[in-house]
Parts: sequence; structure tokens; C-alpha cells
Amino acid sequence: MRNSGPVVVMQLPQQLNHLAVGLFMNELQPLLEADRPRIVLDCSQIAHLDSAGVEMLLQCTEEVMKRDGDLKLADLSPYASVILELMRVDRLFEVFETAQQAVQSFHAVPAHSIPQSEAWYSPAYGALGDLEAAS
Amino acid sequence: MVLGTIVIVRAGGESSAAAAGRSEAQMLTLLHEPLACVEVLGRSVLQHAVERFRAAGVGAISVLIEQAPWLPTQVGCFPPTVDVQIVSDVDLAVAAALKVYAENGIEHVFVVQPNAHIEADLIGMFQFHRETRQPATRAFDREGALDLWMVNAAAAQTVSAEFLLPSLAPPSPSFYPVKEYVRRLSHPRHLRRLVEDSLRGLCQMRPSGREIRPGVWIDQGAQIHKRARLVAPAYVGCNSRILEDTLITRFSNIERNCYIDYGTVIEDSSILANSHVGIWLDVCHSVVQGNRLFNLGRDTMLEISDPSVIRRNGHAARESKMLSSTLFAPWASAVDFSASGVTRVDKKEHSPAQSAG
Repeated sequence: MRNSGPVVVMQLPQQLNHLAVGLFMNELQPLLEADRPRIVLDCSQIAHLDSAGVEMLLQCTEEVMKRDGDLKLADLSPYASVILELMRVDRLFEVFETAQQAVQSFHAVPAHSIPQSEAWYSPAYGALGDLEAAS
Repeated sequence: MVLGTIVIVRAGGESSAAAAGRSEAQMLTLLHEPLACVEVLGRSVLQHAVERFRAAGVGAISVLIEQAPWLPTQVGCFPPTVDVQIVSDVDLAVAAALKVYAENGIEHVFVVQPNAHIEADLIGMFQFHRETRQPATRAFDREGALDLWMVNAAAAQTVSAEFLLPSLAPPSPSFYPVKEYVRRLSHPRHLRRLVEDSLRGLCQMRPSGREIRPGVWIDQGAQIHKRARLVAPAYVGCNSRILEDTLITRFSNIERNCYIDYGTVIEDSSILANSHVGIWLDVCHSVVQGNRLFNLGRDTMLEISDPSVIRRNGHAARESKMLSSTLFAPWASAVDFSASGVTRVDKKEHSPAQSAG
């Protein structure tokens, strides 16, 4: 497990079955109980994923949603990608090519500071009237 | 004030020449109103066009809307400085507007028909027009001509507004190449592409409202249940209600005054303004407006008569009163659910994933 500021990146085990889920959840549970947990699960190593693993992902999602956090998946292995697509749960997650991208997505600058009541196009090319007046 | 803009909205939504090239079947598949007047991410392409000219410093802006059974809902949304007219003959109205501009000393006028979202360099186009010394300059991109012109108001009087129609264009108008973002709007799928491009940040068009977390935009008055899941990027418009266990995912946009009922999944879809989507539905790769659903995968438009499935959301306010406000996290609180004081009142446990499955 490695920390990236407030975002926690965790590597999922190669075998995500009933047994592995129990062990993994022991490690993950304290993080899920934090305020606004922000978690990235690195799925690059997954070579086997069964229903228990998928259920764990859904359970984690539910837990982070309760606490106004978010859980994102990164670097899905082909096996995991197919299983999630087959079970139609892939659309529940934001999926990124790399863990780094997933972490950065948490840090993307929201556009809070841009006043929405005003013109939403900045005069990037200058004012036409100014050009006309100058000419 | 030396520059003006005339924005033309035709009843069919496109120029006569373009409309003539369409089969009746294709026309039937279009939505209730011209795509330029359909709101996407909170504002229509028409509104964006007007705002771009305002931001560029064009003072005199006239919006000429051809009389039709529908009227753009945004008619009243323009600033008072924008002159909005409902006209029966657009070509005559354009000629009259050009005449008025010329009489008021406005030499150069942009004429635009917003059947495409065009982020052209307006100052570049203006400079190009002056250098070429032609009475009219038309914009074009890699796919062909665009309905964006710059004309000399005085010269336009002599040739009338007919040069605005491609079939009657003067023999050698100058053409200004647009290198910036352009998205033509002649099919509902183009709306989806525009939404995607905007949410990806590929164009200057930004969703209205606030980005409550990266990629998730919520507009004023939207109410999202605590157990609904919004997977970024996504947009929820003004006064829309997203109920329990719904999933909004993959570049989906829910426009103004929509109602997404319990357990429904909206994936890669646009729910246009005032639409009600019933419970436990799976809406994928579609554009929904009222009781019409356009499936982009099958290129098919369905008109659904069963109001429990999809319908026009004419009773949003009444339904709003029927539902306890404690069920929802209001928009202001949506930024910070933990501080909203919203309590979970669900009696039955359903994860969004179970809903989706």
C-alpha cells in the first residue's frame, strides 16, 4: 500500500477470491471508515476475479459513498476488465489507465472559482470592437 | 459601435439547402425542436453562440427566430441588450436587420445560423474579411462550409440577404478557414459528441453549474439522493431530481427539470430537459426527450406511449411536493453530504450495483 497524499492507492492481489477478499478487507476496512475516503484500487495484478471479489468492490463502493468519498479503479488487467464488463459493473466505476492518473483525477482543480453567472467565454481573442477602434 | 451579429434560428434548424438534402425519414428522427435550441450541459448552442459574440465585444446582437409551433425555451434568457424577434420570413428579416445596422453605422456584421457549435477565432475572421475586401466572407472547416458569415452591412443591401443561402451565394465569396473546434448538429448523436467533448475538456464549452468533484457538475436546485451514484464525468441540470439507487455514468447529462426514478441507470446518454425516466430502466447510448427516445446504437427513434416508462416531466413541481425533502440532499448540501444532515430513510438495502445489474 502506498499513500499519495489524501488518496490511498492499494494493489489488489493476483487472486481476488473468497479467501483473498477476507484478508484484503481487513487491510482496507480502516480506510473505508475514514471521513471521505478516497481510494484507488490498482487492478493490474488481477489474474483471477470471482463473484466474491466483485462483491467486495461493490461493498467498498457502497461504503465510500456513505462517507461521501470515492473509489476508482486503475490499470485493469484484461481478465478483470472482461469480468467487470461481463457483470456490467464496470460502469459503476471510474476506470483509469494508470494509478497515477486515478490519483490525479482526485486532485483535478474544480471550477468553483469561475463565476458561472458571468460570461462563460473569456474574450480569448480580444474584443473585436477594440480592434476596429484601433484600426 | 461598429460590429453587429445576426443569429438566425430556422424552424427546421438548418439551412434550406441542408434541409433539402435530407430524406423525410431522417427529418422525422430529429427531436422536437432544432438541435441548436436543445439545451446540453445547461445551455443551448444558440445561447453559446450569442455568448461568444458578447464575450468578443460585439455590442449589437439580433436573434431572429422563425415562427414555429415550438419556441426556444431560452427566448427569455437572453440579456436585455440582445434583440430577440420572432419572424415569419427569416430572409426578409435578415435583410431588414442588415439595413437597420447599416443605417446605424454598423459596417460589419456576423451572420450565424447555430446549426453547429463553432469556436472560431472571430477576430481572425474579421481581419481576414477586411483584408480580402469582399462583401461577404464565409467560414468553412475541413468538412465544408459553415453557416457563419461576416458581411458588409451596406454592401449586403445591394445583394439582399439571399447570399446567405448557399444556392444563391455570390460567385466568389471569400472563405475563412476555421481551425478551431467545430461540431455540426444535424443528428442527435452530434449532441452526444458535443457533451462528451465538453466533459472531456476538448472544447471551450463548459457545463453550467458547479463542479462538485472532479468531472461531476451539478446545477442550481438539482437534488440527488444520497444513494444515487454519479460516475464522472457527468452533469445534472437545474432542478432535476435523481432518485435513490440510480446510476448516472459515462459522460451522461441530465438536463433541466428532469426526473430519474428509482434504480434507473443512465449510461452514455443525454436526458434532455423536462424528461421523466421511470423506475428500473437501463438507458444506454440514447438521447431522451419527453416521451421520445433516440437510440444511437440502432439509429432508431421510439415514441413511447406508456407514461410510466418515459414521458415529458410536466409535473415536476407536484412530484417534488409529494416526496419528502428529507430524502434528498439539496444542491448546496450535495457539495458536502456529510454536512447536509440528510438521513438515510431507506428501508430496503439496495446497492447501486444491484440496481444496475
